[in-house]
Amino acid sequence: MSFSTPWNLDETFASEPDGANTLTRRILDQLESMGWSEQDVFGVHLALEEALMNAIKHGNRRDPSKKVHLMVELSDTRFVATVTDEGCGFDPEKVPDPTLEENLSKTSGRGISLMRLFMDDLQFNSCGNAVQMSKTRQSS
Amino acid sequence: MESPVGSLTQETISLEQVDDVRIVRFVDDKISDAAQVEKLGRELLALSESCDAPRIVIDFSNVKFFSSLAINKLIVLEKRVRAKGGKIRLSELAPALREVFGFSQLDRLFTIHDLRTDAIQELAKTSKE
Repeated sequence: MSFSTPWNLDETFASEPDGANTLTRRILDQLESMGWSEQDVFGVHLALEEALMNAIKHGNRRDPSKKVHLMVELSDTRFVATVTDEGCGFDPEKVPDPTLEENLSKTSGRGISLMRLFMDDLQFNSCGNAVQMSKTRQSS
Repeated sequence: MESPVGSLTQETISLEQVDDVRIVRFVDDKISDAAQVEKLGRELLALSESCDAPRIVIDFSNVKFFSSLAINKLIVLEKRVRAKGGKIRLSELAPALREVFGFSQLDRLFTIHDLRTDAIQELAKTSKE
């Protein structure tokens, strides 16, 4: 079995979806080139997209003068990403449970639970403007 | 004159019709980009407005990725269709996407069929009742 060289990314971009899309595509291409499964790539895609869109939309309030910082460490077996915005942060414990009957039809509030679904670990910093997620590759 | 159904083809979705059941398929296999999702939302709303009590089957058979922003558009569509007395059924979801709907409890909001033929059959049956 051969191992790929670990791959790192450290980028800052303006709070617009195009920047997030471009970086997400680079990361997914790297995962695929390292042989991560379609299922794992799906999970990383969904979790990363949620984190980046939360940073743009809720953290930086779509203010293009504010930046989003993305750091990724990727190896054959492990994915770790940290997304930091320039907003005031939030308390993830206060986000309503999207699976409750009264919240099912709401079009927001699912991001954090979906990130938890597909990542092995999800941690917010104390003020809530940075999230770190990690996932170990599933054996295929 | 081009029908409303025909005018929506070649966009983010394509449409077929079996009896009075409309079947939606996605043109791209990844529904992710924000502009693409907004366009999808507009097309789905146009579809919901195109007839009374619409019966719609969403066929995910070629979809590899569907963002939560795109899921939000489905939720909006479901509300519109339900308000008009119509029905929506989802079908052919890939396992990872099925997991998203299950984990989010969205399978309580949407009826999900493994096979599109079953979804079509059920809606065709209810339209004759």
